[in-house]
Amino acid sequence: MKNRMARRTLLALSSAGVVLALSACGGNVGGGSADSAQFPSGPVTLTVGQAPGGSTDLIARAAAEGMADSLGVSMPVVNKPGANGALATKEVAAMKADGQNLVLLNASLITITPLAVSENETVSLDDLDVLMGLSQDDYVMVASKASGLKNIDDIKKSEKKLSFGTTGVGTGSQLAQELLLAQADIEGTTVPFDSGSPALTAVMGDQVQVSTIQLGEAKPQIDAGTVVPITVFSKERNEFLPDVPTAVESGYEVPVSQYRAIAAPKGLSDEAKEKLVASIKDATAADSYKSFNKKNLLSTHEISGEEVVSEWTELAETYKKLTDEHEISLAGK
Amino acid sequence: MEFFGPVLDGFNVVLDPTNLLYCLLGVVVGMLIGVLPGLGPAATIAILLPMTYGVEPVTAIIMLAGIFYGAQYGGTITSVLLRLPGEASSVVTVFDGYVMAKQGRAGAALGIAAIGSFFGATVSIIGLTFLAPLVASFALDFGPPEYTALAMLGILLVATISGGTKIKAIIAAAAGLFLATIGRDGFTGAERFTFGNLSLADGIDFVPIAMGLFGLGEILYNLEERHRAATAPVKVSNVWPKGKDIKEASGAIGRGSVLGFFLGILPGGGATIASLASYAMEKKTAKDPSRFGRGAIEGVAGPESANNAAATSSFIPLLTLGIPANATMAIIFGALLIQGITPGPQLINDDPQLFWGVVNSMYIGNILLLIMSIPLIGVFVKILRVRAAILAPITALITMLGAYTIRNSMFDVLLVVLFGAIGYLMKKFGFEPGPLVLAFVLGSLLESNLRRSLLVLEGDPTGFFTRPISATLLVLFVFVAIWPVIKSAIDKRKTSSTTSAVVADKEKENA
Repeated sequence: MKNRMARRTLLALSSAGVVLALSACGGNVGGGSADSAQFPSGPVTLTVGQAPGGSTDLIARAAAEGMADSLGVSMPVVNKPGANGALATKEVAAMKADGQNLVLLNASLITITPLAVSENETVSLDDLDVLMGLSQDDYVMVASKASGLKNIDDIKKSEKKLSFGTTGVGTGSQLAQELLLAQADIEGTTVPFDSGSPALTAVMGDQVQVSTIQLGEAKPQIDAGTVVPITVFSKERNEFLPDVPTAVESGYEVPVSQYRAIAAPKGLSDEAKEKLVASIKDATAADSYKSFNKKNLLSTHEISGEEVVSEWTELAETYKKLTDEHEISLAGK
Repeated sequence: MEFFGPVLDGFNVVLDPTNLLYCLLGVVVGMLIGVLPGLGPAATIAILLPMTYGVEPVTAIIMLAGIFYGAQYGGTITSVLLRLPGEASSVVTVFDGYVMAKQGRAGAALGIAAIGSFFGATVSIIGLTFLAPLVASFALDFGPPEYTALAMLGILLVATISGGTKIKAIIAAAAGLFLATIGRDGFTGAERFTFGNLSLADGIDFVPIAMGLFGLGEILYNLEERHRAATAPVKVSNVWPKGKDIKEASGAIGRGSVLGFFLGILPGGGATIASLASYAMEKKTAKDPSRFGRGAIEGVAGPESANNAAATSSFIPLLTLGIPANATMAIIFGALLIQGITPGPQLINDDPQLFWGVVNSMYIGNILLLIMSIPLIGVFVKILRVRAAILAPITALITMLGAYTIRNSMFDVLLVVLFGAIGYLMKKFGFEPGPLVLAFVLGSLLESNLRRSLLVLEGDPTGFFTRPISATLLVLFVFVAIWPVIKSAIDKRKTSSTTSAVVADKEKENA
């Protein structure tokens, strides 16, 4: 009797595992048996190239929720983190273009990553049908309280050689900061951290004097007064930090933000594309999605797929031009 | 009340029904695998890691912690009743516990072990409660140089203190350091040892390594041993120890708890060393050492208190410094990282709910264990009858499914198989997987922080010694590094002085 109990526990555990695994690949199974005339023919899978819990993942989940309601099928979000999202994007790009498999794109993968890594780690928009842009996530430069720095001029005039934290190699944080330092002729040491949180902690403890971080991560500390906002890197002032000047208005050519969009493999039928775009529009119009954006300090940037392609292509060229012009290498010195 | 506010909030977190349920689940699973020889807490936690993805971080860690300290309770049962230690940390319990069982005092042995375990764990939780905020108050002073020094100290301790041959531990640690270099260089974006494979661009994930080496490796290794037929367990009657027993054991419980607490904090230390040290200490302090091995209750009470105290206090370096003290902690470190939480000095301030939720869950978990361990002893003993031929394929299946769910990638499943084979071979040739996993975790910490330090310090290594915390840690590092030399010198002098004393005695006799 007791014997059976032990077995049952183990069975329960293993079946829990099976359920996990099945729910994870359910979307793909539906995609395989798709009837091309009918869309959607089953669950639509949205793949995310970042780990669960990060801002990209949260955006994907918020969008998927509304899209599932609109399409009338379930929309599982599957995380396949790796290589800044290149792994997931390449995988989806190679799938059948039936609209059953989508991917959430980070603009940095297209515009900034190619400046830092080898070619096989990059992705081209040519392999994808971009459906629609979603939102814009801004970077803010913050200084430690102990440093006494208040604005870009203070940094320029600093007699001490300063250290500048970034959230990693090939990120918008690094690009924005390097561009500003080069244009303002500031000499400093750039220190890459693994992500936003350690870069922020390092500024709080004055381990580095300045860091550039995504606004959502820095805002609580800015509000608490533990770090001082210096500048934001968006083209226009950020709606959540209206008093902080942009680098652009201070006279520097640093238009760096993170953008997100939803894309499908190239060659989608017009019918599927229309339905998907309509579902994204429905999802982004929902109040719950709007308050999600606000809560996470994301500015709406809901532009068409064609506009996304031209904007990102242009940004990639601009960044390439600017880094060449100022002889900046994101891959260290 | 500034200090106690978050502590009390932590109790609210624990008393949330979901968290309570996961705490119960954790301790039951812990006790179960504690009973089963072979499958240790590190393996179990590694195998069950994917189960924690869907739940809140605090809930996940509460469960995993429960598995760890629950195993310490479970391991005792088979040691006493069957002379079959379920865990390495319960090996010494066999010496007196089994003898006591044969004398018909199994109940007293198990009862005193449960009470001692509970007491030891409680002492450690209280210690943790007061020590952690102290360490955390230095949190923001921990910059790259401090982390560099900490990681160096951690790796050194892993290599020198861990059980087994030192040279093999160092070889395993070196392999771990090498594995940590795979993937994209975080400072230049250059690819290292990826062979153009995108799946390796971010390096090898910690989870497949842990699942392979600990989980699959152990399953394979255990299959090799014929499952020993469990002998009929001794009848357990009257589980509550008599007043006389408690009186005899109380000193041992107290000493074991304090000893375990301190040994648990040391990186590379942990429950096994603590139980061994406590047994030795009890034997030394006893009025009549000859009683040991013949059913001395102190020989059960001391080590059992010590291993639980150590199991609990080994959370201190992890939760306050982000340095895992042993292999199980390394896996819990990985579990926290998966949840997007980096354990370190900032944890207690950044995420007090998680910190105090986990710490306080240990009180509840230990109470649950104390209640369960006594009436459920019979049930757990029966579990031993499940044959390995049934158990092994099921656990292997869970491991594989779990590996897939990490990133929904077959590549990770293949990695688990590969590391499972490596883990099996390592065990077979007497290499512990612990140092490898610990060095892997600490290796990436060490490399990135060393390079970061040199950037911040502008390439001037003297900066490591002018900062008070990193200087202290480095002095400690040097001390630990040369300690074996000092110790052998002292030992030599001691032996020579005792021999001379003996000689002197003999001379006196002759005179």
